[in-house]
Amino acid sequence: MSRNRPLAIAAAAALATLLIAAPAAAATITMSGSTSVAPLATKLAKAFVKLPKYRGKVKFVILQGGSDIGITDVSRGRVTLGMSSRDPKPADPGGIVFNKFARDAVCVVTHRSNPIATLSQSQIQDIFSGRIRSWSQVPGASASGPIDLVVRTAASGTQDAFQNIFMGQTLRVAGSATTKASNGLQAQTIKSDPNAIGYASFHFTKGLHDVPYQGVPCTLRNAKSGQYAGTRNFFLVSRGAAAGIAKQFIAFARSNPTAKRIVASNWVPLR
Amino acid sequence: MSDARVERILGAVACIVLALIAGMVVFVFEKAWPSFAHNGLAWFGGGGDVDLQLEDIFNSPANPSDYVYTLHAWPLLWGTFVVTAGAVLIGIVFSLLAAIFIVEFAPARINRVLEPVVRLLAAVPSVVYGLIGILLIVPFVGNHLISVERQESVANVVQLDGACLGVGVLILTVMIVPIMIAIVVDALRAVPGGWTEGAAALGVNRWRVIWTISVRTARPAIVAAAVLATARALGEAIMLSMVAGSASFAPNPIDGLTFLFEPTRPLASALVENVEGLSVVPFGETLFAFAAILLVSSMFLSLAGFAAKQPMRKYGVQP
Repeated sequence: MSRNRPLAIAAAAALATLLIAAPAAAATITMSGSTSVAPLATKLAKAFVKLPKYRGKVKFVILQGGSDIGITDVSRGRVTLGMSSRDPKPADPGGIVFNKFARDAVCVVTHRSNPIATLSQSQIQDIFSGRIRSWSQVPGASASGPIDLVVRTAASGTQDAFQNIFMGQTLRVAGSATTKASNGLQAQTIKSDPNAIGYASFHFTKGLHDVPYQGVPCTLRNAKSGQYAGTRNFFLVSRGAAAGIAKQFIAFARSNPTAKRIVASNWVPLR
Repeated sequence: MSDARVERILGAVACIVLALIAGMVVFVFEKAWPSFAHNGLAWFGGGGDVDLQLEDIFNSPANPSDYVYTLHAWPLLWGTFVVTAGAVLIGIVFSLLAAIFIVEFAPARINRVLEPVVRLLAAVPSVVYGLIGILLIVPFVGNHLISVERQESVANVVQLDGACLGVGVLILTVMIVPIMIAIVVDALRAVPGGWTEGAAALGVNRWRVIWTISVRTARPAIVAAAVLATARALGEAIMLSMVAGSASFAPNPIDGLTFLFEPTRPLASALVENVEGLSVVPFGETLFAFAAILLVSSMFLSLAGFAAKQPMRKYGVQP
């Protein structure tokens, strides 16, 4: 009996929450997808449920997992909205709609001991495609020796954004690059290697040097004003056109003043 | 409960397990088939860059007949083999010597500490080792052990940034040695006292008794330990993805010492790093092909372990 006690307690607790939740009869919005979008979506959801119109009538369940997981989940109807930090792809499942609701800056980053003053698009292309392999060929670099490329895996939304913004459709990141599976691992690798260069969402660049792109520093202010060119889109993906409470949430995220303030705290609002 | 009923219930449970395994094998291979079918034997060969090939597969067009499947997975297979073989070979030597010390030489009060610690180490989650590796060992190797000349000598082919084969093998060895020690210790303890005492009575010195009687008798257990350790090493994904470089490169032994500093990426790491893209159909099928290879190798591993134990059965101590 004693072995079963934790199970019994868990079952009782589950039953209790069910009972508490049931009378409210709230509409539930479930979301899954990009780890880059999730922090913003969570903040927006918290603000949404506080609106007098929706107080107690709607609740959110937000899961993470990556842009592609969100897109698959929503196309199969497992969640109400998928979160994606990448643009639509030809191979995406049919019947889904990408609703753009915010933008995000992608910065090129180096080790703190290597504060490069600026990189042009062609310099970034040369470095990441492997045409330039030594820091001595990069003007303004204080590192010496070979360049260590630290990038993300093919399935990453940030990698997709970097490819579209900086590399274009024909150039590719050199095969010798180290590919990391998450933002955290990538940032840690660059932090511990003075010769490293990589890219990251603005959110994840603490402790690293943000390289100004075309002379414009990678700051939130420059991204908002449109001077900084390295921005990507955040999407809420719906199955068919969004309807009902999901539609109202997307409209809220796009244009409500409170939502705009939340987006502007760390991301770039739509203009 | 009557004996007959117990037997039937246990039999049913065993059958469920077998059915689950069979179902899993069928499922994985069914999912993996398109990747193998499109590439044929070239799947196992080299050529091109695996990362770029994976990217092409991920960016396949929408039309199922245009799906891209081209993959030459040799660097991943070779990486899996080198890392696993390296760790297991070093591990066997270390664990055998450590086990002999624990059973034959260590005083009881040292053993009271040593054995629980070994068993505790065997249970440390691999991600902890990965963190230690990426925060301490990889930066140290990258900034102090690899010279700029060495980096520049291969800069056009591969980058040496500290995360490398050598660190991967080192940490993997630390991970698998405790399990091997625990198994070998149990086997050495199970050697009948009469055999070693008999040899000692004939005037054989202590080391020879250990080597020719105890270790010889414990061989099946050593094989079992090696098989178990290999299985863990084969399946190790997170830690190796953190410290072994995460570049699809096949380290080349001809490069001398540089070989140890070259990055590699075993199959299991490639699988876990790319799992985010599972939803893209051809990419998912490619990942299932990785899983199928891992499944088959662990099956062959069990069979090889079984076969290796056969000639040793006669005088062996079964673990």
